[in-house]
Amino acid sequence: MNLEKWQSQIARGTLEYCILLMLSRKTYYGYEILQELSKYPIIASTESTIYPLLRRLQKDHYLQSVWKDSAEGVPARKYYSLTSEGEKYLKAMAEEWENLLHAIASLKGEQNYE
Amino acid sequence: MNKEMEKYLSAVDRHLKPLPTSERVDIVKEIKSSILEMESDNLPEQQILERLGDPREMAKAYLGDMITKEKGFGLNKLLLVCAFYSVVGFSGLFVIPTLGIIAPVFMFCGALCPILGAAKLADYLLRLNLPFMKNVAIFQFGSYIVEPVPAFFLSILTGAILYLVGKASWKLLIFYCKKVSSTKRDLDI
Repeated sequence: MNLEKWQSQIARGTLEYCILLMLSRKTYYGYEILQELSKYPIIASTESTIYPLLRRLQKDHYLQSVWKDSAEGVPARKYYSLTSEGEKYLKAMAEEWENLLHAIASLKGEQNYE
Repeated sequence: MNKEMEKYLSAVDRHLKPLPTSERVDIVKEIKSSILEMESDNLPEQQILERLGDPREMAKAYLGDMITKEKGFGLNKLLLVCAFYSVVGFSGLFVIPTLGIIAPVFMFCGALCPILGAAKLADYLLRLNLPFMKNVAIFQFGSYIVEPVPAFFLSILTGAILYLVGKASWKLLIFYCKKVSSTKRDLDI
């Protein structure tokens, strides 16, 4: 069984959506995003996955970020938030996500899923 | 933050070399922030390093497709590029102007031919005596000059052939240009 490979493919395909979903509710700093994701084993990730992804999303103008410098005992943190373009992107993704859920539900034979 | 971590960060920085300094500083600062957070969560050093992984892999994740793009411009690629531009440049020197002239001129003549044939026919049947008509639409085989009525049909046939040749040249020209650009795309140059 090659479940692990499949799991990592799912994670890779959905992390972008997960991060945008999180940021649509409030601003997060990078480490906080990792902590949040680690609550869910299927999408738990490390720095080398999430930080480059955040950077790419920012380059594509879906996110913006701002450094908040350290208070005592707290390291400098980079806070991310959605841009208006990011919100549009998220909306489009949510629609596709619904399409996927519909497809899977009907493949399962759940006829009254509408 | 101890020596080991500093070493890790500078290794990442080193492997990020293709990126501009400002971006490298920002990347390293963010990873450093993560290390500090983990330290304040009391994660042991070994676990932190394990989670961050190989500094080279970390840097690679940031560089992403940049690396694959830069790689592979070796001698073979250079020769391929030279060959491509030589062939395209040389063939284009003939193909584009030749077809570019043939196509519109043939199509124009193809359209003109039956028009003149019709004019000649009208001139002959209605005896209009239009100027220059005796020079127009004369089909001559040896000493035999074709009568205006069959000449009209001949002119339609000739016109159609000319037009088709022009059209084919045009298609060929488009095909040539498309082929060149798709080859260029495939070579990724």
